[in-house]
Amino acid sequence: MRKLLMPFALIATMAYSGEQFAMSDADRAMYAEMLENNPADIYVESGGEIFEEKLGGEEALAKFLGVKVDELPKYIAGFPRYIKKLGNVVGIDQVLQAMQVEQGKKMTKLKSEDMFSMLAYVKSLANDEQFTIDINADEHIKASYDLGKKTFETPRGGRGLSCLSCHSKDIVGMVLRTQPLPDLGKSGSGATWPAYRMTKSSLRTLQRRFQGCMKNALLKVIPIGSKEMVGLEVYVSTLAQENKKAIAIPGLKR
Amino acid sequence: MYNKMTRISCVVAVLSTTVLLNATDMTKAYSMPDASKLIEKDLLKPAQKYSMPKGCISTDKDSIARGKYIFHNLNGKKAKATPPKGLAKFVEKKGKDGKMVKKPKQYGNCVACHNIEGAKGAGNIGPDLSKYKATFIDTKTRDHAFVYQKIADPRIDNPNTHMTVNLTTKLFNEKEICDIASYIVSEKK
Ligand code: HEC
Ligand code: HEC
Repeated sequence: MRKLLMPFALIATMAYSGEQFAMSDADRAMYAEMLENNPADIYVESGGEIFEEKLGGEEALAKFLGVKVDELPKYIAGFPRYIKKLGNVVGIDQVLQAMQVEQGKKMTKLKSEDMFSMLAYVKSLANDEQFTIDINADEHIKASYDLGKKTFETPRGGRGLSCLSCHSKDIVGMVLRTQPLPDLGKSGSGATWPAYRMTKSSLRTLQRRFQGCMKNALLKVIPIGSKEMVGLEVYVSTLAQENKKAIAIPGLKR
Repeated sequence: MYNKMTRISCVVAVLSTTVLLNATDMTKAYSMPDASKLIEKDLLKPAQKYSMPKGCISTDKDSIARGKYIFHNLNGKKAKATPPKGLAKFVEKKGKDGKMVKKPKQYGNCVACHNIEGAKGAGNIGPDLSKYKATFIDTKTRDHAFVYQKIADPRIDNPNTHMTVNLTTKLFNEKEICDIASYIVSEKK
C-alpha cells in the first residue's frame, strides 16, 4: 500500500484533460489500474530472488558494507555514497558488483535487466526512509555532488541543451511538446526510480532515465556508472531529499 | 601446548585471508566507465554572432515548405509526411568503424516549445509565433536578421535562453536556417 503514496501526487500533475497532453483518458485509466498493481513488483521480486541466491541477501550486503542488518534501510538511503574500500562514490549497483567479485562470481552488467531488478529490490529496502545523503560528509561525496551539478548544468549536443534548459525552476510546469516539465525535486525523482515506465513497458533506473533525456535532447548518452552519472544521481537525489520525499520503490511513471 | 598451536594456526588463517582479500583490488571490482571524453567532445561552443547570407529570406514555396517541415518535425524517423523538395529524411554519417551509415536527419522540433499556425501539440516554453509577420515584422518590432540570429544562436539575444542552438552546433547549415526563418516570417493562411 505504501508505494501508492508517491504516484498519487504524480497523477495530480498528470491528470490534465484535453488532447494537448500526452495522457489520453485510456492511458489514465490504465495508469489508475497499474497503481493498484504496479507491474514493476514482479521485477523487484525477481531482483530479490537473484540477490538472495547469487549474493547472499541482506546479511551478506550488511557485512560487505560493515553495518548491522537493521541499519541497512537508513544506510541504503544514503546512496550514492563514498565506500572507502571501493575508493569512490558509488551506486548500489556498483556495490552489488563488488560483492560478486569478492565472492569470486561474475559481475552482472550495470545496464542489464537483472541488475536493474536487484538494484530496485535493494533500494526498496529503504522504502519510507528519507534520503540521508550528506554532501559535506567527506571530500569525495562533495566532489561527486559538484560534478553532478556541473553535468546537469553543462549545455552540449546537437541542440546545445543542458538538463537545466528543461529542468530549471523558472519553467517547471510549462509544456514541452505535450509534456509538462516536472520539478525533479517536488516530483521526488530520486526517490521514485527504479520505476515501471509505461511508455517503455519495463523497469528503468534513475540513471537509465537520465539517458532517456540525453537521447531525446540529442546530448551524447553517457554510460551508466560513470563518475558523471553517479554525480547526477547524487545531485537529483538531494533535490528529492530537500523536498523531504520518502523513498518509494518501485515508482510508476508515464 | 595444543592450545597454543591452535591459537597460532588461527592467527595464520586470519592473516592469510586478509592477504587474500587484499589481493583482489576492490577499487577495480566494479565498472565505472569513463564519460569525460564523451562530454568533452560534446560541449557547446561559445555564443556566436552571425550575419544573414544574401537572399536568405525568400518567398520561394520550396524554401518555406522545407522550413515548415523542419519546424514541425523532430527527426526523419519520426516524421510521417514526405519531405519537401531539397530535404531528406536520412543522412549519411561516418560510423565508429569509418564506414558511412544512414542516420535519421534531425529537424528543429520547434513546435515542442512554440505554437504557430497549424501546430499540433505545441508547447509553450517559447513565445507563440503565430501571426509573426503581422505582429513583429510589419510593425518593425523585429527584422529578418533578428529572426535569423535567434534561430542560429539565441544566446546573443538572451544569454540565459532555454531555446536550442541551431547553427553553432552545426545541427543545420545556413541555408536551412534561412528556410526556417523564411517560414516563420511568411504570410500564413
Ligand atoms: C529538451 C528538454 C529536456 C532536457 C534537455 C532534459 N529533460 Fe529531463 N525531462 C524532460 C521532460 C519533458 C520530462 C517529462 C517526461 C515525461 O513525463 O515522460 C523529463 C523527465 C525527466 C526525469 C523523470 C522525472 C520523473 O521522476 O518522472 C528525470 C529524472 C530527468 N528528466 C532528468 C534529466 C537530466 C538528468 C537531464 C540532462 C542530462 C535532462 N533531464 C534533460 C525534458 C528534458
Ligand atoms: C526548448 C525550447 C525551445 C525550442 C526547442 C525552440 N525555441 Fe524558440 N524560443 C524559446 C524561448 C524560451 C524563446 C524566448 C526568447 C529566449 O529566451 O531566447 C524563443 C524565442 C524564439 C524566437 C524569437 C521570437 C521573438 O520575436 O521574440 C524565434 C523566432 C524562435 N524562438 C524560433 C525558434 C525555431 C525556429 C526553433 C526550432 C529550430 C525554436 N525556436 C526552438 C524556446 C525554444
